[in-house]
Amino acid sequence: MRFALDDQPVDYVDGDSVAVAVLRAGQHPQHGGTLCLTGDCGNCSADVDGVPFTRTCLTPARPGLRVRRHPAVGAPPLRLDPPANPVTSPSQPEVRVQRVHADVAVIGAGTSGTAAAEEARTAGRDVLVLDGDAGDDVVGVYPGPMVVVRRDDHVLHVHAHDVVIATGAAELHPVCPGNMLRGILTAGAADLLRARGVDLGRTATIDLADLARFDGADGRVTAVVRHDGTSEPCDTAIVTAATRAPRDLLARMVDDPRVRVVGPAAQRFDLPPAPVDGVVCPCSKITVEDLQGVWDKGFQHIELVKRAALCGTGTCQGGVCMPHLRAFVTDRSGEPAAPFTGRPASRQLTIAEAAADVHLDAFRRTALHHEHLALGAQMDRFGGWWRPWHYGDAMREYWAVREGVSLGDVSTLGKMIVTGPDVVEALERLYPTTIADIRPGRSRYVLLLNERGHVIDDGMVCREDEHRFVLTFTSGGAASAEAWVRDWVETWNLDVRIMDRTVSLGAINVTGPLAGELLRRVGVEEPPRFLQHRHLSVAGVDCHVMRLSFTGEASFELHHPVAHSVELWRALMEAGRDLNVVPHGLQALFALRLEKGHVIIGMDTELDTTPRRIGMEWAVKMDKPYFVGRTSLGRTEPLPDHRRLFGYTMEGPAPVEGAPISVGNRIVGHVTSSFTSPATGRAVMLGWQKHTPFADTVTIDGRTATVTPVPFYDPEGSRARA
Amino acid sequence: MRAPERLWALRVVSTPEALDHAHYEGDVIVLRIANDEAIAIGAVHAELTDEHAIVEVESTFVGWDLSLAEFDEIVHRHVEWPLPAERPALAQGLVAGLPLKFWIDHDRVLMISSNGLVHEVVDRLGVPA
Repeated sequence: MRFALDDQPVDYVDGDSVAVAVLRAGQHPQHGGTLCLTGDCGNCSADVDGVPFTRTCLTPARPGLRVRRHPAVGAPPLRLDPPANPVTSPSQPEVRVQRVHADVAVIGAGTSGTAAAEEARTAGRDVLVLDGDAGDDVVGVYPGPMVVVRRDDHVLHVHAHDVVIATGAAELHPVCPGNMLRGILTAGAADLLRARGVDLGRTATIDLADLARFDGADGRVTAVVRHDGTSEPCDTAIVTAATRAPRDLLARMVDDPRVRVVGPAAQRFDLPPAPVDGVVCPCSKITVEDLQGVWDKGFQHIELVKRAALCGTGTCQGGVCMPHLRAFVTDRSGEPAAPFTGRPASRQLTIAEAAADVHLDAFRRTALHHEHLALGAQMDRFGGWWRPWHYGDAMREYWAVREGVSLGDVSTLGKMIVTGPDVVEALERLYPTTIADIRPGRSRYVLLLNERGHVIDDGMVCREDEHRFVLTFTSGGAASAEAWVRDWVETWNLDVRIMDRTVSLGAINVTGPLAGELLRRVGVEEPPRFLQHRHLSVAGVDCHVMRLSFTGEASFELHHPVAHSVELWRALMEAGRDLNVVPHGLQALFALRLEKGHVIIGMDTELDTTPRRIGMEWAVKMDKPYFVGRTSLGRTEPLPDHRRLFGYTMEGPAPVEGAPISVGNRIVGHVTSSFTSPATGRAVMLGWQKHTPFADTVTIDGRTATVTPVPFYDPEGSRARA
Repeated sequence: MRAPERLWALRVVSTPEALDHAHYEGDVIVLRIANDEAIAIGAVHAELTDEHAIVEVESTFVGWDLSLAEFDEIVHRHVEWPLPAERPALAQGLVAGLPLKFWIDHDRVLMISSNGLVHEVVDRLGVPA
C-alpha cells in the first residue's frame, strides 16, 4: 500500500500514520526538528490532499493520499496545483456542523479523563468523551461553554453544562544548537516507532539536563554532545526529560468556572533552564537570539515577546515553545512568567471548517419586495432591510413627488403600540417634547435622546385615545429603540403595555401634490389634515393613515397588516395610473428630504450629537421636569459648543458626501448629505463645522459654499400642509 | 414537505395574570412568547380582563408544518440550544442566525418565521419556499 510524498510513492504498513510511514521510508515529514508524534508540535506538518499544515502524525496513511512537504526556510513557496482562481474555481463542498448537548464534555480519554467521565456518570450526568485517538480533534473551547471539534467529515459543536479538560502533559522538546536537524525524537516518539517496527539505526538517548548540542551532517543528526563535553555518535537522537509540560492550551481559552482541568494537564510544572541557543519556536523558526532581540527593544512581557517575535503563534500554538519561552522571560525578568493567553483555534482549520454554519446578518424583505423587482427596482440593503434604491430613474421619481404623486415603501419604519394607565407618564419621561397635550387623532415629531442628551433616534408619536399611542422610529433604529423603550418602562416600573408592530404592519407613503386626489380615488373622502391620523379603509384595506411629511409634499402614510400590502400597493398604482403615479426609491427620498433640511439619524448625526448641534432645540422642552437626557442637556446648555450641523448651498454640481469642509487652509468638518437640487437650482448640503467661530462661507470641493438656513425648499412648509 | 402557509393570528399584550386567564375563540394554538405577550394562531376573538390589553390582528408569520422526522433531518442540526422535553411546547431563538419559533407537538413541529425572513430561512435551512 502506498501514498505519494512529493509525488514519489511511499510504502506503508496497515495502521501507520503518514508520519510513521515517511520515517519508515528513511525520510522526514518536514525538513527537520524534533518529532513527538503525538500532535503536540508542528514538526511533522505537511500539505495533505491540498490541506496545508496537517499534522501527519495524526493522519492515518491510506492509498492515494497526496502529501507534499512545505517548503524549507529560504525555499520558494509551495506551488498551488492546480492554480487557484477564486472566481472560476468551483467552491468546496460545505462542511456540515453537528450539534450535540451534554451535561459534561470530557476532553481526553486517558486515565484522568476516564476517571472524570466515570465520576460524572455515577452522579447521573450525561457525559460525552472527546478522544483524540478516536478522531476527535478539539479545536477550541468557547464561552458557553461550547467545544468545537474537527472530525473527518464534519465539525462537531458540543454544548455542555460542564467541560473537563483532561489532555495530559507533553514531552519537552530540546532547545540547543542543532535542534532542527533530522533524526531527533522524543522518548515517546521513539517508543512508538519501535512498536511500529521502524528501524531507528544507531540511537543515543540523552536527558535534556545533560544536552549541550546536536552535531550533524547534511541536515541529519550524527551525534549528541553533553555539557561535560562528551559526545555520542548516532543515527537517531532520543531526548528524555524529568518533567512534562501540561497541555493546558484549551483551558487557557476561557475563564469559566464550568470549565475545569484535571490530571497532568492541571499539575504544577517546573520550567526547564532558560534556553541559551538554538530554535525555540520550530513553527516559525524563532531562535533564542530573536527573543533576545525583541527583549532588548523593550518587549519585556511574555505577551509582548510573543507578539513581537511571533514565538508561539505558529502551528503548535506554543505546544513546543511555551516552556522555553516562559523560562526565557522568567530568567530575564526575575519574575515567574505565566503562560500566554490561549485562543481558538488550537488546530489548523480549513476556511470551510471555520465557516461551517457561520451566517451573515439577515436582511429582511418587505411584503412588497417582488412588486419592487417587477417595477425594475435596484434593491440595496439599508437599516437591516432590502429596500428599493431607485426604479431606473431617480430624477423621474423625484419629480413625481414634487409635481404629481408617488408611492414609497416605508414598511421598514419602526412601529409600536403603547397603552396603559401610566403610558403618558412613560412617554413624557422618554421624549424631550411634551406628550400630554397631544390630542387624540393628532401626532407630533419627536427626538429620542440617551442619558447624555445625545440623539439616538427620531419618529412620530400618534395619540389614539387617552391611554393608547402609536410610536414610530427610524428603520435602522427600530430594534434598539424597542429595547430602549422596554428597558426604561421596566426600570421605572410603570404600568404600560408595549407591542412592537414593525414586522407586522406594512406602510406605504403616498406623497406629492396629488396624493389627496389619489386617496380619494381609493375611497378616502376626507383624508386627515397635517399631523392628524385616522383609521380608514383604503381600497378596502384597513389602514392607519398618518398625515405628515418627510418629502416636503403632502404625504399620507398608510399603515396596514402586511398580508394586505400587495393588494393595497396594486390598488394605488392602478388608481393613479392616469396621474402618472410612480414609486420612488431611497435615492429620491434622500434628495427630497435634504431639500427640506430633514436630518437622517446616523447619517447626518454622530454618536454625540445633541439637539443643539443639529439646530433642533425646538424639539426639546427644557421646562419639563424630567426626561431622559434632560440632566445632561441642562448642564451643557450654558457651555459653549464647537460643533454644529449647518445647511450649505453652492453653484454647480453637488460634491460627494463626506467631502471636507474648509475655512482657509483648515479643514473644519465634512459634508454629510449632498444633492444637486432641481427645485432650488443649486447644490444643497448638510455638513458639520467643528471649530469656532463658525464660518458663514466655507470651501467645499474647491468651491465656495454659503451657510444657508434650512429648509432649502418651501421654508414655510405650505406644500406639506396643503 | 409542504410549502409554508401564512398564519393568521391575534397578537395580545397584557398583564401576565390576564394572559394566564385569557379566552380565545376558534381552533387556537396559543404561543406564549413572553410573560406579557401571546400569539394566538387561528383566534378570531380574545377575551381578557385587562382593559389596557392590546389585541391586534397578526399576519406577519408563516409556518412550515413538519413531521418530527423532517424536523430532525433538516432543522434540528441547526439548533444550538436544547429543545424542551415536554409536549406540546414552544421553543424560540436564533437558528442559523434567524429568529424562529417552534411549536413542538407529539408528532408534528410547526416552524414559524416572520414573512420578511422567509427567503433566508429557505436559503439557510433548505426548506421549501
